[in-house]
Amino acid sequence: MSSSTLTPAGGAPAGEGEHTAQARGRVLPFPITGQEIVLIAVIVALWIALWLGTPAFLTSGSIVPLLVAMAPVALIGIGMTVIIITGGIDVSVASMVMVCAVVVAKAMVDSGVSLPVAVLLSMALGGVLGLVNGVLIAYGRVHAIIITFGTANLFKFVGLQVFGGSTVNGIPDTLDVFGRGADGRTLGVPHSFLLMLVIAALAWYYLRHTPSGRHLYAIGGDADAARLAGVKVQRRVLSAYVLTGLLTGLAACFVIAQGTSTLAPNVGAGMELSAIAAVVIGGTSIMGGRGSVLGTVLGALLVQTVASGVTQLGWRSQLASLFIGIFILIAVGADLLRQRARRTA
Amino acid sequence: MSTAVSPAPAQAPQPEDGSSQSRSRLGQLPATVLRALLTQRIVLLLVLLLVVVVTMTTLSSNNYLAAPYDLSYMSSALISAVPLVMLGLAELLVITSGRGGIDLSVGAIVSLTSMVFGFAYGEWGWSLWLAILLAAAFGGLCGAVNGFLIAYVGYPALITTLATYYAFSSIAIVINDQQPISTAPIQDFFSTARSIEVPVGDGLPIPLGTLTFLIPIAIVVWVLLNRTTFGRRLYGIGTNDVAAQWAGIDVRRTRFSAYVLAGVISGLVAVVTVAQFASARPDAGVTGTGMALPAITIAVLGGVAITGGIGRVAGVVLATLLIVWLNAGILLAVPGNAGSQYQLLALGVVLVFAALLNGLTNRRYGRTG
Repeated sequence: MSSSTLTPAGGAPAGEGEHTAQARGRVLPFPITGQEIVLIAVIVALWIALWLGTPAFLTSGSIVPLLVAMAPVALIGIGMTVIIITGGIDVSVASMVMVCAVVVAKAMVDSGVSLPVAVLLSMALGGVLGLVNGVLIAYGRVHAIIITFGTANLFKFVGLQVFGGSTVNGIPDTLDVFGRGADGRTLGVPHSFLLMLVIAALAWYYLRHTPSGRHLYAIGGDADAARLAGVKVQRRVLSAYVLTGLLTGLAACFVIAQGTSTLAPNVGAGMELSAIAAVVIGGTSIMGGRGSVLGTVLGALLVQTVASGVTQLGWRSQLASLFIGIFILIAVGADLLRQRARRTA
Repeated sequence: MSTAVSPAPAQAPQPEDGSSQSRSRLGQLPATVLRALLTQRIVLLLVLLLVVVVTMTTLSSNNYLAAPYDLSYMSSALISAVPLVMLGLAELLVITSGRGGIDLSVGAIVSLTSMVFGFAYGEWGWSLWLAILLAAAFGGLCGAVNGFLIAYVGYPALITTLATYYAFSSIAIVINDQQPISTAPIQDFFSTARSIEVPVGDGLPIPLGTLTFLIPIAIVVWVLLNRTTFGRRLYGIGTNDVAAQWAGIDVRRTRFSAYVLAGVISGLVAVVTVAQFASARPDAGVTGTGMALPAITIAVLGGVAITGGIGRVAGVVLATLLIVWLNAGILLAVPGNAGSQYQLLALGVVLVFAALLNGLTNRRYGRTG
């Protein structure tokens, strides 16, 4: 299904005004890639299929929870996109979510902090954890996956220490503006989803239209060449990890808001893999130098559609991960095919 | 690898008499020791291992620990080293094969193969040997899926194994409706996970899995890497696969084989875990942090370069012993739930420390193992 929709869509931009399109193309890629068009088509097809299967699917009672649930993964995915564009990766985000969530939950239970304080606290904490990763990776000059495997263990230790061997109970409803309930919606649109969209748009603009955003692509393409061209590689790489930390901190607030009034130590588990899955389904190259935030948001939407679709059809919820695995392979395979076609053309 | 060690540090040749030469060599000794510590991962691991064992024994003899940290405790702790070493070796094979080689799916292969082994041995009444063969073959098949996509189609390894991690772990859970298999033969199989007494001193309890799985696998992988053409080719493609291609090596096939072998080893780990739990569990390899992340950690700690082409069996084995004995000591020093948390801390600190040290060494002495 991917290859048939691909050709007409991918060929479209070349039709109008060969010159301008080419001149623009040399500086910036077309705003929407073939992968993203395919993704939109796949998501629409899935939604129609699910609507035919269970008519209840296309009602707000089913779509709103889907949008709320995808927000934290998409948010972390945005940060992860920036990191992967630089050629790195961060497998410690799940542990970061846990640390931020437990600290904020404790702060709300013990000292009843207000909403802005809770959000700022969570983001600041996430930023500090991201800074730890960034400093070790940028200045220790060690491969990102190794460092973040290590810090994932360290952060998890910190989080479990704060948990102190039990769950956090009786979390107040301070963060309900980000939750699934009526407080979390304006005109039926969930706040967490809206906030995620705004941040995605900002990140999209930053990556596409600011010099430092373009530097991130240059670093992912060839870090040595970027350094010789005057890019402050270490500082840029560091900023990518801090950004992810900040976004992960915000995502932790969403996670608390979506949960019950009890927070268990397994909070956030597996989120690093879902975020990476969303990023690669969105067409960002794991080798660095290529990718977009729009793709990641679509990827997160696809992953969440599959997850809630499987439960709505009454199938075993674990089947969702089988489909996610298959989607990852199809998405990356389509990308490989396009690259090969581009090289031979 | 030792081949990468550059010639002796730049020292003015001293054409003096023998005594001054030996004195200058003595003067060089600290530098040589430091160099060996930094560039030879095996030496560093041995020293760290010694530090851990001496510290723990001292604490033990001063009664700081909940139970004595002696030889018999250390040898019974080896039970947790069995899956770690085996999966560490699996990661050694795929990471050494280069081009971003890594296998995140080993834990999921363990889960899925556990179920297949459980069906064969626990429900269809196959003989034990046949069932173990099936487990190895099935693990190899899962590895072949990874290997085909990575080596022949050209998928990035991280993504492929992430996808198959999802797929395999999902199938493992769905295949028997989330139920573990613990029929009579599987429960009796637990006896193979017990310890046997070896007649050293007053009888050390050695976990049987060490003798039946760990040591044979380690020897086989060592022979494969160091005494066969396959091993030479693997290091070759990991170091530079274009050069290897031009040297006439079938790069794709060699890389494919590395993933298949990793799958076979994971299949055998499944047998070990079934024996340990006395039940074939659908989530055996993916509960908690799963089995893949510790295995990769062990491999990296053991000096396997994530960029490929560098890695030794002895490094993986020593790294596992270090972590297992450190963890065993922590459990005695900090009993209960907190103990397992401090194990996370120790693993993280050791890994970050080792990685930073690698970076430092690379800059100071060039690329070494």
